Amino acid sequence: MNERITVMVESDLEDLVPGFLENRRKDVARIEALLVGRDFDALRKIGHSLKGVGGGYGFDPITDLGATIEQAALQQDDATIRDACQRLADYLDRVDVVFTD
Amino acid sequence: MTEEPTRDDARGRVLVVDDDDDMLGLLQRWLDGAGYDVTIARGGEEALRLLGTTRPDLVVTDLFMDGMDGLTLVARVHEDNPLMPVIMLSGHAQIRDAVRATHLGTSAFLTKPVEKDDLLAEVERHIRPRRAAGAGPFAQSIIYASRVMAELLEQAELVAQGDVTVFISGETGTGKEVLARAIHQASPRHEHPFIGVNCGAIPEQLLESELFGHEKGAFTGANNKHEGLFLAASGGTLFLDEIGDMPLDLQVKLLRVLQDFEVRPVGSTRSYPVNVRIISATHNNLEELVANGEFREDLYYRLNVVPLHMPRLAERPEDIPLLLEHFLAAHARRAGTPRKRFAPDAMAYLAAGAWPGNIRQLVNAVELCATLTKGDIIPLQMAQKALREEPARMKTLKDAKAEFEHNYLVSVLRIAEGNVANAARIAGRNRTEFYKLLNQYALDPADFRASTAGK
Repeated sequence: MNERITVMVESDLEDLVPGFLENRRKDVARIEALLVGRDFDALRKIGHSLKGVGGGYGFDPITDLGATIEQAALQQDDATIRDACQRLADYLDRVDVVFTD
Repeated sequence: MTEEPTRDDARGRVLVVDDDDDMLGLLQRWLDGAGYDVTIARGGEEALRLLGTTRPDLVVTDLFMDGMDGLTLVARVHEDNPLMPVIMLSGHAQIRDAVRATHLGTSAFLTKPVEKDDLLAEVERHIRPRRAAGAGPFAQSIIYASRVMAELLEQAELVAQGDVTVFISGETGTGKEVLARAIHQASPRHEHPFIGVNCGAIPEQLLESELFGHEKGAFTGANNKHEGLFLAASGGTLFLDEIGDMPLDLQVKLLRVLQDFEVRPVGSTRSYPVNVRIISATHNNLEELVANGEFREDLYYRLNVVPLHMPRLAERPEDIPLLLEHFLAAHARRAGTPRKRFAPDAMAYLAAGAWPGNIRQLVNAVELCATLTKGDIIPLQMAQKALREEPARMKTLKDAKAEFEHNYLVSVLRIAEGNVANAARIAGRNRTEFYKLLNQYALDPADFRASTAGK
């Protein structure tokens, strides 16, 4: 529980990463709000963009969780989305970034 | 306009289109780090707008975007730029989309999340070969965004590779010499000299010796042997500017050199082989000069193998803001002062100007604005002043000649105190011709006679 996760990211992205992670925290809040309104189309879009962008920045679990959310949104499976969102929030809480050259 | 398009991008310019800011930032950083000049667009509409102004060499776009999707964007891009390489990114690895994208002319289809190395490899592979093939980007010194210039430079770059004789037409101040230099720089001769000579600025006898050289003692004042520009430019390019002003006698001699690839210096008994590429230029309508018998037809055809036309500045209005910014930045660098900006209304005013003196006039106007403006922002009034004063400074040759002729006639009439026979003699004209000139300039000899002189 609460074990830290260390992610290595190339140093040329150093100034972009804080903003990127902040946007993912905002995504968590948006997903929670969209789940209340059961807006699966918007949820699918968020999942899709998480999937596209996570791995590029070096955060593969974000890509995986995005894919899960996108897929679950297509099936209007809010339980799976809620679970993925929880795991995303948890991941963001525990992740530490180390920049490498 | 998001940035100043200088054409000194080392590896080419990439337009990246995505509606996700994090994705845009990532792609921009990767491409930027790899040495590309990157422009970003947050959607298809913005991409189409930027396409005309930034003239990318390759487009990277997302497939699924709010508003215009990637497939529509590819189709729209290729309407006007059929050869533009496009790399499509998609989160869905759906074969149907990939097939459709390829059918629409997409060069590559990458699945998100994209690996940096994969993206860079595809960009490298598809970016227009002309960026990679040359010794450097063509015509770095020419600032443009307009299609008319892009087409001209595309032709010029092709021409540069060969050794063919080039003829550049265009008004004074359009940058004919800049184009000639760019062609030389991109040619296999670029390690040899580029020598330019203004055929209209040198008296006939001197021009002959300047071009072909002379032996010691060939004429009065020829105290030393002179090599001549044909030999000095050996292996390189000789740029004959204002060729339309070359006297007929010299045209014959030039034609002989171009036919025989040999030059015989004035006063010499022997000829020397020449190895130069000829680029000539004129602001005159050479065809008209040929029709009037003022330019030799055979020389015209010998020079006009590949004609290129430099457009007037007014024919490329979209380039004006870029040029204003460029020369303003250049002024600041030279003067070591902070860079000034045009107020939006000043910029709009200048962009709509007629610019009869073309780029040369624009450079002068920018210098005037930058020098006389105290603050950081150049106001509309200053722009108006600069444009108003320029035409007076930038007379056409015809107007300058007319002014000279008028002043000359006035001087002669003064000296002759209004006596037409004497005045005509001084001017070396017969009376009939002299009267014609007086009529042309509405001069009355009576105004110069003793009783009225000085009025």
